[in-house]
Amino acid sequence: MIAPAITLTLHESRRVYRPGEKLSGQYYIEAVEGTETVAVEISVLWHTEGKGDEDIAVHFFDRVSQDERAVLDFRQPRVFSTVLPNSPLSYEGVLIKIRWCVRLRVFLSRGKQIVEERSFQLGEVPPARAVLP
Amino acid sequence: MASAGESPTNSPQSNPFSTRFIQPGAISYLFPANVNAAQLVERLAKNGWWGEITGPHGSGKSTLLASLVPQLILARKQPLQVTLHNGERSLAQHGETLARADARTIVIVDGYEQLWSWNRWRLRRFCRRRQAGLIVTSHASTGLPPLYACAVDRQTAAEILKRLLPAESPVGQADLDHALAANGQNLRDALFELYDLYEQRQAK
Repeated sequence: MIAPAITLTLHESRRVYRPGEKLSGQYYIEAVEGTETVAVEISVLWHTEGKGDEDIAVHFFDRVSQDERAVLDFRQPRVFSTVLPNSPLSYEGVLIKIRWCVRLRVFLSRGKQIVEERSFQLGEVPPARAVLP
Repeated sequence: MASAGESPTNSPQSNPFSTRFIQPGAISYLFPANVNAAQLVERLAKNGWWGEITGPHGSGKSTLLASLVPQLILARKQPLQVTLHNGERSLAQHGETLARADARTIVIVDGYEQLWSWNRWRLRRFCRRRQAGLIVTSHASTGLPPLYACAVDRQTAAEILKRLLPAESPVGQADLDHALAANGQNLRDALFELYDLYEQRQAK
């Protein structure tokens, strides 16, 4: 199966956002013949990475799906927007890291899914460094 | 870069040995050339949907379970999974899950050897009465029909390492060989050791 082309962009081309700031962007999907986009979920979320169990929390979520009343054209850009919270701030630790991202999940016909992400940084906590032996 | 399926995206700053990339389900079980998940489910069906997966710590038992679940669903079975931790000797904490067991379900107990033998017997009796299937993982045989014996070999470990690592990485095959030897061929612990090594070398 040839995957459809997905474009996901943030409106401000910067990597660091401050708590309380607005984050916005847009996405569109150029479908390939033979594939049908059934639904799209856009979320702004944070998750942990490290040696322990993963924590994840969704700050913003929106789902758009085809229904019987109207056929949606996902080739048209769709805008999303949210005000970022005060915490948790992005963090680059050794044992744990906190990562923020915008995640676009595209549900295709026959149960296939494609995920596209744009990472960004919330706040400016200095990174930790591993202690070298 | 778009990624298919449920796998988390590995950002350039990610440590490829983080739990989210190595936990069961994040990487699929690597079968030898002559075995696959569908064959194991077929074997399980012939055994009346009962079977055990054996293998030492960190040999991929939980990862294999995660790879079997989609095949069980394709076979119209509903998996009910219970994972036992820290020497859990009874299933008392999992009564709500097990209450849903019936002839369409497969009860999966990861870490079965931790149960007292009396509680193992009670579980088997429970599954028989509900006509439910039963798959367990254990370090050694517990008397259920054998389904698969997991073991880590160097070739499989090398392939997993290849799948995890980005194009340029501060750790490599020699580090994995060393970590496996230091951890008694426990791949899970070896990969966690490489997590620390990756952080140290990235910091340099």
